[in-house]
Amino acid sequence: MNVQLKADHVWFHYTDEEGNRTSEDVLKDVSLEIKKGSFTAILGHNGSGKSTLARLLNAILVPISGSVWVNGIETRDEEQLYEIRRHTGMVFQNPDNQIVATIVEEDVAFGPENLGIEPQEIRRRVDEALRAVDMYEYRLHAPSQLSGGQKQRVAIAGIIAMRPDCIILDEPTAMLDPRGRREVMKTIRMLNEEHGITVVLITHYMDEAVQADRVVVMDDGKIIMDSTPGAVFTKPELLQAVGLDVPQAAELLQSLKEAGLPVEVTAIDEASCADVIMNLFA
Amino acid sequence: MLKDITIGQYFPGNSLLHRLDARFKIVMTLLYIVMLFMGALYSLVFGVVYCVMALILSRLPVKLFWKSLRPLLPILLFTAVLDLLFITDGTVYFQLGFFKLTEDGVLTALQMVLRIIFLIIGSSLLTYTTSPIQLTDAIERLLSPLKKLKFPVHSFAMMMTIALRFIPTLMEETDKIIAAQKARGASFDTGKLKDKAKALVPVLIPLFVSAFRRAEELATAMECRCYRGDVGRTKMKQMHAAARDWAALGVTLVFLIGSAAASLLL
Repeated sequence: MNVQLKADHVWFHYTDEEGNRTSEDVLKDVSLEIKKGSFTAILGHNGSGKSTLARLLNAILVPISGSVWVNGIETRDEEQLYEIRRHTGMVFQNPDNQIVATIVEEDVAFGPENLGIEPQEIRRRVDEALRAVDMYEYRLHAPSQLSGGQKQRVAIAGIIAMRPDCIILDEPTAMLDPRGRREVMKTIRMLNEEHGITVVLITHYMDEAVQADRVVVMDDGKIIMDSTPGAVFTKPELLQAVGLDVPQAAELLQSLKEAGLPVEVTAIDEASCADVIMNLFA
Repeated sequence: MLKDITIGQYFPGNSLLHRLDARFKIVMTLLYIVMLFMGALYSLVFGVVYCVMALILSRLPVKLFWKSLRPLLPILLFTAVLDLLFITDGTVYFQLGFFKLTEDGVLTALQMVLRIIFLIIGSSLLTYTTSPIQLTDAIERLLSPLKKLKFPVHSFAMMMTIALRFIPTLMEETDKIIAAQKARGASFDTGKLKDKAKALVPVLIPLFVSAFRRAEELATAMECRCYRGDVGRTKMKQMHAAARDWAALGVTLVFLIGSAAASLLL
């Protein structure tokens, strides 16, 4: 009942138009359940299968075997694609390639217009969505006049205006500068905390994954860890083995531990790391 | 250099011309073109007066229109000279060898030059005072009767919107690719015309590859936003014809009739 997205023993490889296999198995027996209202980060390096998983969760791709369920609807059911997508929004990596219209507010209106909503209601939703991502004053600008972070926020507003229950973001900050990344992450957290939207964030930045309630680590098409950020990032050896970074705080504690000091790797942010170190002197 | 291209440029404003319904503006522009090309010099006067009136109402600086005319000066000059040289009917004003300057030649040259100048000013007025999105919307609505003939009116309008949307993006990308190729020692401004054309190949190929990739990503993103063509689609901005739109169309028709009468009677 409480499950937003569900992947059940999913196997996937890419095929060409005739159905011939063109890749190795990208996903190998992946099972995952995502609860309504949660904020999940899917972390993995390039080629770990995380973006493919995102595309399966929004029915852009369909599993070779196993099944994916969105709000209790199986993604294989092509008649229900529209129903799936009006409840599950997707934000992509390149903001330029998902903006359709020449004016910001027209672009935000694109989704609701496709849903056949009344004009006055669209106007209301567009204004509300633009205020939510803090882009209202730019509503009459052309997308080409905006920075990368602003464009990505417009893309997010375009999804919010459709009022989905769930948003999947496929590396939304990969092409942005540090400032743009901060703006977009702030917007994503706000969507989850204030609007109760289920968020699935695909990323390879661990400092973004830390902000989620749950971190799923993928490597070579499999889920290798699935826990809270605190539990995942305090296992530096495991993360480093699959080529991922570790938060600096955890890395420092790990080095102290290896040097023979009586500490455990329990902290992933600066403040609690400082506490652990202070305890050493106490 | 690519930033100077001003296709479909729009200058936001709040004049009467800006506020008119885009559908009416398109129809009025078409009627205006008919006015210009209807007949004799006398009927052309109506078009000229009409255009000057609209220009004043638009409250746009005349400088803008001069900018859009300047690149066409050589063509204007060429047309005028051709007319003067080859139209040899009517009263001869002046003769030098085989060259005859005649009344008809002068009149035709004058008409052609005026027509081209006012054609450009009139159509620039349309794009200068109407945002691209309003323009494509208006075209979609004006063409909507063609839907009955299975003409894909909506897809056509969507294509125009996307093209307009991606002009700045692709320009920026072209500039980047040129810079990247220059950094590798490519030269674009030297050599013969043939060499210059050849030098553009390494710019165009990456540009095309990237444009196709963008198109594919955009299509996926549009599908994710529930785009299904014009099935069950609404519009945030509705178009309402107001009294001023009908009034403006009325004035245009009066001018058109005046111009037709002038070409028939005079």
